[in-house]
Amino acid sequence: MPESERMRIVLAGTEDGADLTKIAAYRGAGGYAALEKARALEPQAVLEELLAANVRGRGGAGFPMGRKASFLAKGTGKPTYLVVNADESEPGTFKDREIMFRVPHRLIEGCLITAHAIGSQNVFIYIRGEYLHEFETIRAALDEARAADLLGGVTIVLHRGAGAYICGEETALLESLEGKRGQPRSKPPFPAVSGVYAAPTLINNVETISTVPAIVERGGAWYASLGVDNSAGTRVFSLSGNVARGGNYELPLGTTLRELIYEIGGGIPGGRELKAVIPGGSSVPVLTPDQIDTPLDFDSMAQAGSMLGSGAVIVIDDRCCMVQLGLRVAQFYMHESCGKCTPCREGTRWMVQILKKIEDGRATQGELDLLLDVCDRILGKCLCPLGDAAAMPVASYVDKFRDEFQEHVDHGACPYGGESSLDRVFAPVDQHAHSPVADEVPA
Amino acid sequence: MSAPELVTLTIDDREVQVPKGTGLVETAMHAGIEIPVFCYEPRLGPPVGACRMCLVEVEGMPKLQAGCTMTAQDGMVVRTAQTSEQAARGQNATLEFILVNHPLDCPVCDKGGECPLQDLTFRWGPGSTRMTFPKRTFQKPIPISPTISLDRERCILCYRCTRFSEAVAEDGQLVAVNRGALSMITTFEDEPYRAPFSGNVTELCPVGALLPTQYRFEARPWEIQNVPTVCQLCPVGCNVQVTTREGKVKRVLSRNHPEVDEGWLCDKGRFAFTHLYAPDRITEPLRRRRRRGLDPISWDEALDDAERLLRAARGRVVVALSGSETVEQAYALGRLVREGLGSHTAVLPEETDASVGAFRLPLSAIRDAELVVVVGDDPVVERAPIVDLWIKAARRNGAEVVTHGPAGTVQTAPGTAAQTCAELAGEGSELGARLRAAERAILVWSGPGGNGGAEIAALAAKLGFAAKPGSGAFHLPATPNAQGVAEAWAAASDGEAETPEQIGLLLVSGDEAAADPNVRALAERAESVIAVTMFQGLAVGWADLVLPATSYLERDGTTVNLEGRLQRLRRAAIPPGPDELGWIAKLAERFGVAVSPYPARVFEELSPTLYGGLPYSDVGEVAPLRGRSEVPPPRPHDAPEPPRPSDGHYLNLVRYRALFSGPAVERVPELQFQRPAPEVELSLDDAQRRGISTGDEVEVRSNGTSATLRARVSRRLLAGVVRIADEHARDLHARVEVTKP
Repeated sequence: MPESERMRIVLAGTEDGADLTKIAAYRGAGGYAALEKARALEPQAVLEELLAANVRGRGGAGFPMGRKASFLAKGTGKPTYLVVNADESEPGTFKDREIMFRVPHRLIEGCLITAHAIGSQNVFIYIRGEYLHEFETIRAALDEARAADLLGGVTIVLHRGAGAYICGEETALLESLEGKRGQPRSKPPFPAVSGVYAAPTLINNVETISTVPAIVERGGAWYASLGVDNSAGTRVFSLSGNVARGGNYELPLGTTLRELIYEIGGGIPGGRELKAVIPGGSSVPVLTPDQIDTPLDFDSMAQAGSMLGSGAVIVIDDRCCMVQLGLRVAQFYMHESCGKCTPCREGTRWMVQILKKIEDGRATQGELDLLLDVCDRILGKCLCPLGDAAAMPVASYVDKFRDEFQEHVDHGACPYGGESSLDRVFAPVDQHAHSPVADEVPA
Repeated sequence: MSAPELVTLTIDDREVQVPKGTGLVETAMHAGIEIPVFCYEPRLGPPVGACRMCLVEVEGMPKLQAGCTMTAQDGMVVRTAQTSEQAARGQNATLEFILVNHPLDCPVCDKGGECPLQDLTFRWGPGSTRMTFPKRTFQKPIPISPTISLDRERCILCYRCTRFSEAVAEDGQLVAVNRGALSMITTFEDEPYRAPFSGNVTELCPVGALLPTQYRFEARPWEIQNVPTVCQLCPVGCNVQVTTREGKVKRVLSRNHPEVDEGWLCDKGRFAFTHLYAPDRITEPLRRRRRRGLDPISWDEALDDAERLLRAARGRVVVALSGSETVEQAYALGRLVREGLGSHTAVLPEETDASVGAFRLPLSAIRDAELVVVVGDDPVVERAPIVDLWIKAARRNGAEVVTHGPAGTVQTAPGTAAQTCAELAGEGSELGARLRAAERAILVWSGPGGNGGAEIAALAAKLGFAAKPGSGAFHLPATPNAQGVAEAWAAASDGEAETPEQIGLLLVSGDEAAADPNVRALAERAESVIAVTMFQGLAVGWADLVLPATSYLERDGTTVNLEGRLQRLRRAAIPPGPDELGWIAKLAERFGVAVSPYPARVFEELSPTLYGGLPYSDVGEVAPLRGRSEVPPPRPHDAPEPPRPSDGHYLNLVRYRALFSGPAVERVPELQFQRPAPEVELSLDDAQRRGISTGDEVEVRSNGTSATLRARVSRRLLAGVVRIADEHARDLHARVEVTKP
């Protein structure tokens, strides 16, 4: 698909090169018209459009946004809050970042429309601490919107995180927002009933909120007609890894992996072979080359045994050692585990220890089985999805590349001779840490 | 209240019916099924679902669920590890993960043998380990205070301790830092955990991570005995379990009385027991030799001496009671002195008033109140610590809490609590109107002065509390059994008290009386003094005859707490000599009075008069509260003259008896850090005028006396008032000057 035919709903109107971070340019491109339209409507009417659009959450879990909004507790005597999850931290994912630094007003407009729809006067945008540039862009845009009198009595507060992956989990985010230790809450109660400050709270991802202006502008039915069944609309896919043209691409849901990787992304450079694809961020099960005709939509991905997740497509070529990949993923989740629930806190560390031993060629056959059993003992038993996020991919690597793991055990060494390259796939975990992660596992 | 809606559900094929909203752990227990837990503890607020020990299978839900976070719903089908292989595997997994980094040093762990982790591992856990890697190590054990040590390797991060600190004691000192596998418990800013309720975390901890230092390597669970008794270090009367080994007290644990203490215990009640073994403990009778000498004598000689002194007094005996005696002791002493000697005068450190009994409620009613009003100069926590926890619970439940005092939410001048009561009873008071309107309102008198009980009862009567079963009044007396002692003394004889001009003999009963400056003043006027005290330090220099006293941990008998609840004391340790009741009976015999040396007999004698003939055996381990007494007719009395307001130069001194003070605390090395700092609390206004800031050394002077103390500037304290703990205020007068040298 040529560049010009890509959908432009979220990452809108960037072709003429106008700087959409400026309110004048954004308005010139039709921005804030949807807000005006929405405010002329009853909140319930706006909510109906969102329900009709059937837009599913873009953060990872894919829960329909309109339904979530309709769950908000009414008549509690407490204010209703809108919280935007801009704590984009899933390895491989960088879509919210681009939305924020390219079209910040789209997010602000989305916030204001959504706030109108749910009758909220208070909006928090919780932005990942490392996103300094994006924070400054949003702040500047917010100042412009405020100066242009667009807020209409709504308070939008930008809150910077302090560098914890877990704070992308909605309830941990709310805890952190309240000034507490960023750890997930037990659900229920869900945020719609008892969210920030124990008040009804709608919490959505940046991309989700940024689709709202287009939905209001052109109608929920129009939006629902895009994409495929049960996966309406477009999605910004973050393409990365061993691919020629990585980047963010907004495409209708249902586009196949093959189209994204080969036609849009230009295939794998250097004449190397495709070895595996991670279709939705580091936490989802891996797919193999025979599955690349799977469409990128919620149901197809589930059928293929993986998940659409955050929409981060990571392409892995034949240089990559899957054990090293597993180790790096496990190290990331060990480092980011919040420490609240037992299986995740203890299990991720144990996984790292076993994977390290396998990669070093010191593991026994029993330990390979143990690794799978540890994954199984984490899966589905944790307080929040972080534990699953560590166990699911690693278990899938062993499952789909068992021979490679077996070779490590049988030959007492990494068959990639340690030269294996995870180049461009996942950054070493040390980059996330203030101190080397190796310290977390005393020798 | 209407009957709660019942729901029916099935747990492990057993049908069970519970009120809607009941937690699944309780529901299962109701069906006789255990759902094992570590982090779940309903007293700590909403469940957190952290440990994942309580995993159960719920029909219709794909994943295992944390049972502790679920409530019973109609038609629910639940399977625990008893009948679900998936749940059993889940629990086994949790235990394996918990043990992956647990040191398994049970043989040298004080918790071994009474450890929930050990117990649950035996029942649900794996038999051996698959962990072959180095375990996580920490420096250990770390003293987080002189009374508590922390072993981070044993910690399973259930967050019970931090939740207690944050959501029950509200001291916020115990926190978790770092994340993931490196998470650990620590104190805020690494400061010692100095808070009145810190010791509770050692009981909440389900493993051997937080342990009392006093109990370190002292005993094993199979060689101890636990005695259920009642703490007698403040008027709350918390129910406790006293652990002894080979006849010696090794520790004090809480014993949950849901209406009194909810299973919490202050650090004084928990850690002060080692005063039993203080080096200056008196174990045999002593006779004065010259001015400051004391010679040990035999019990026979002591009884002869006592008889001689009592006879020589010719009826001019005054008994100084402590308010910490058992009901039986006070009664027996009353029989001896009143019936045998015809002397009817007794003094108590603080007068009590029975009228508050007309507004009697369990302490737990405070938690359910809408409005709590406290009057008086003393912080509640210093007088009756657990009451402070109940008030905090009320506030968390949404109650409004109004405190009147020099540092209250409503600042009032010291000594004006009676005036406050009068104002609240008046027509013009807005708060008074709300007290009148509220269904569940609580009044608390927390201050010195004998008339508190009568004042607060009179206010409650005027506010119409008699007709409101959810509203009540509490008086926080200074001593643990003030009411019981007063009642027992009164019941011992019908004779009228007539204070003798000249005191022939002053009989000082117990340490509180012996330490009371007013009693010391009486002694100046007495021809002779018999002191019954535990410690040499309190006996030297004034007593002609010293009889060894016993501690509440060494006594059998009954006691009445501030609610008016009659509770049973049980002897945990054998006293070093005969107890009070023993020698009183012997002595009484010599004066022709028949008193039994056995508390049960004495109780049976006094019970018909005082407790409606209740048999001794029915006092109970978890004692019920008596019903309300009749509303007393209003009695005219004069409110005490409030002190003159400060003129700016002279400031009014408010002194208070700190919780961590008194003869017992002074003798416990581990509790020294809890004692009040040598500080003078000043209002911001007064401090600024004098150029004083927090931490400055200042001189506090009154007519002829002075003290050098550290200043602490308080924004909450009323201008014109300074506050100093009793032990540092010593003999300062009521009006002081504060200057920066």
